[in-house]
Amino acid sequence: MAQPEQRAASARTGGAAAVARFLLPKIAQCVFVVWATYTVAFVLIHALPGDPVLAALSLRGGDATSTDPAELQALRERYGLDGPPWQQYLTGLVALVRGDLGISIATGQPVVDMVGRAFPNTAAVAVFALILGFVGALAFTVWAYVARLAWLRGVVTQIPPLGIATPAFLTGLVLISVFSFGLGWFPASGSTGFASIVLPGITLALPTGAIFFQVFSAAVFDAGASPFVFTANAKGLAQRTVVVRHVLRNALLPSITIIGLQIGYLAGGTAVVETVFSRDGIGRLTVDAVLARDINVVMGVVVVVSVVYAVVTLVVDGLYGVIDPRTRTRLTDGRRRPRAAVAEVAG
Amino acid sequence: MIHTRSRAARRAAVPAVAGVALLALAGCAAGTAEQSSTPAADQPQDIVFALKEDPACIDPQQTSVTTSLIVGRQLTDSLLDQNPDTGEIVPWLASEWEVSDDLTSYTFTLRDGVTFSDGTPLTSEVVAANFDAIKGLGAAASLANGYLAGYAGTEVTDDAHFTVNFSAPNVQFQQGATTMSLGILSADTVAQPAEARCASIVGTGPFTLDSYTPNDSVEIVRRDGYDWASELREHEGEAYLEKVSFPIITEPSVRTGGLESGEYDVIQDLPYVDEPRFSTPDYRLYAKANPGVPNSFVVNTSRGVLADEKVRQAVTQGLDRDKINVLAGSQSGKAPTSVLTSSTPGYTDLGDVLAYDPDGAKDLLEDDGWTLGSDGIYAKDGQRLSFTVTAFYAQDVLEAAQIQLKDVGIDLQLKMVSSGDFFGAIASGDYDALGAGLTRTDPDALRTLLSTASPSRWGIVDDPELESLLQEQSQTADAAARQKLVDEIQSIVAEKAYVIPTLETVQLHASRVGVDGVTFDSASRLHLYDARVVSD
Repeated sequence: MAQPEQRAASARTGGAAAVARFLLPKIAQCVFVVWATYTVAFVLIHALPGDPVLAALSLRGGDATSTDPAELQALRERYGLDGPPWQQYLTGLVALVRGDLGISIATGQPVVDMVGRAFPNTAAVAVFALILGFVGALAFTVWAYVARLAWLRGVVTQIPPLGIATPAFLTGLVLISVFSFGLGWFPASGSTGFASIVLPGITLALPTGAIFFQVFSAAVFDAGASPFVFTANAKGLAQRTVVVRHVLRNALLPSITIIGLQIGYLAGGTAVVETVFSRDGIGRLTVDAVLARDINVVMGVVVVVSVVYAVVTLVVDGLYGVIDPRTRTRLTDGRRRPRAAVAEVAG
Repeated sequence: MIHTRSRAARRAAVPAVAGVALLALAGCAAGTAEQSSTPAADQPQDIVFALKEDPACIDPQQTSVTTSLIVGRQLTDSLLDQNPDTGEIVPWLASEWEVSDDLTSYTFTLRDGVTFSDGTPLTSEVVAANFDAIKGLGAAASLANGYLAGYAGTEVTDDAHFTVNFSAPNVQFQQGATTMSLGILSADTVAQPAEARCASIVGTGPFTLDSYTPNDSVEIVRRDGYDWASELREHEGEAYLEKVSFPIITEPSVRTGGLESGEYDVIQDLPYVDEPRFSTPDYRLYAKANPGVPNSFVVNTSRGVLADEKVRQAVTQGLDRDKINVLAGSQSGKAPTSVLTSSTPGYTDLGDVLAYDPDGAKDLLEDDGWTLGSDGIYAKDGQRLSFTVTAFYAQDVLEAAQIQLKDVGIDLQLKMVSSGDFFGAIASGDYDALGAGLTRTDPDALRTLLSTASPSRWGIVDDPELESLLQEQSQTADAAARQKLVDEIQSIVAEKAYVIPTLETVQLHASRVGVDGVTFDSASRLHLYDARVVSD
């Protein structure tokens, strides 16, 4: 994705230039992803039949919803939904660059405010679920790896996939029944305080952890069977050292790669969890907006999620440089090398 | 927001409460446990009331969604009040009022000493500003604007006297003035743009808004010094409850579970299937049919088989409404017996017209020249007896009707759409029949639904006789004369099957037995003014 002007910019020598050469194409890619998402979402939403203003209005008006054409036209103008599609597209894009996502048709609030209000709540649960899933998957992987008995190893590797087989909706309701209504330890609803994050976080951590475990365990067992671990073992290194320094380090890279995917999953998963736990978040905002055909909010959410996704991808790419020495070399000498086997890293 | 009431205490209290309730039941001949209750001195007077959805807009003048109105009603008083049992209109913020004979002007005298919670007094000017602002809101306040149809301005005589004028007779205004759609808000509030009003309002109500966090919760607190409840309430002075928290709990099983565990004291919208579980002495159920037009097929007579009156009558006779109520309704509800619900003032019992008569339906169709085809559906001149109903809720009701109509040889096709597409269909007139109800507290609902002059009519009917009756009732001030007209209208609409009722939709809420005094107003929305905690 390297652009000519970026190449020119990176023609200068020195560390900064190398970093720029490394990052600029990725930033350009970021912007492209957001623009492409906006465009595709715009086309899809506008291809749907039906009148979005009427749909959003009926959310508030119920059976008293007005179908008077003149009043509808006035509202269309107010929400920037009048005029030909290309004009709406360009206006929306220009506003987007300024950070303006328009006004919600259903609630009348600025979309930026609605997303801004819901985002921290979703992020809190998602981050908690990611950490919990990651730690859980790590624990299970190590347990499976160090288990001496083949049958125990078999059993341990079979447990995490259950997390993805159980629907989040069911997990959520069971957790609420037991820990909120039964034991009264955690609230069943709401978005305030750490306690409100725990149950939804666990609900989401199960499938997240299951995916982590699949990637993790595959990498760890691969590494475990590789010559460098054999060598390490033969040198008489302690099992713990082998696991931490050689095996896990190799497993880290693919796990970081899938964090991007996991965030994509979490965006969808939160819709269910936020509904069950009655939390104000991006997922529920999206569900409500789609049901009301509040296209300004749908577009806003799509753009914000694509920005998050793009930024996470950028950060993950950057992290490669920290974790994988080969990319570090690429960063400093500017030459691209073919990706070698993972085993080479610690070999 | 989360109620941390001790589970153990609640568990221990349940048998005791049940015992007290049983004693109370045994003690009162009528079995009305409610009458003995007063606020318990040793109980904190605050409750948690789980709402089923985000109110989205708490300004009662703008929204007509029940959830929003349940909140809005507590914050806002109206000029008048209506007895839900008798339909009688009584004073509230207005101590006296007069209606001109031609129904074009309404003169009010405001009650003394009423203030908004921001300290400003209630004056004629503020009321005038309210009505003017509603006109300005346009489509954003369509229900309130409906009540103000033909509004020509408010003439302020002095601080306590004013006259609301209309360019044409407006019969629904008096009743509309009892609803929260025309509830009175402070001058500051009505001067705000529509969006700001959705987030925060100031009224004269027995509670004031403490906070509203969209998609999370609403908190309201008692208004100190409140002293202008309508005579329909059980007590005077301030509300009993100090605080009401409304967490927004969208998942029904979480609401019911939370009521069982004591996390919520009251829940909105108990699913009908859960009704038996909560029909025990530990809980109170609150059920009332929505006033207005029941859930019905509202017919487009300008096209398809429904243009034929005999076919429409066969459809209405082919529906077993009692069975639909058992299948899809509440235990507390009953089958519709008119084109208005039994909770609407002016309702007339037409149970015989709407009686289930499958053989009669078949006879009607055969006399009309329809013959039963090999597929079990009638046909005439190569046209199958088939029509489509467009709807956006209550699919179970329509499915029950579909099965019943198939038994009498009528093919009903369901077209479930989004609410937006439903109103889109109304705007374009592209439907055979609509499946929905219309909530209004006045028989004028039928004019809104059917009149050719109604700006958003649902039923497409060409019947000059009906049209003139609909107009006449809307211009008749004399209650008895108007009732005669309304009776006649209901008969015509039911007999000619312009509206084919299916189910009276019941608002069903539940609370634990220790909370008492929750009452419905005439629009089947809730008053919490008399509500109190009587036991843990």
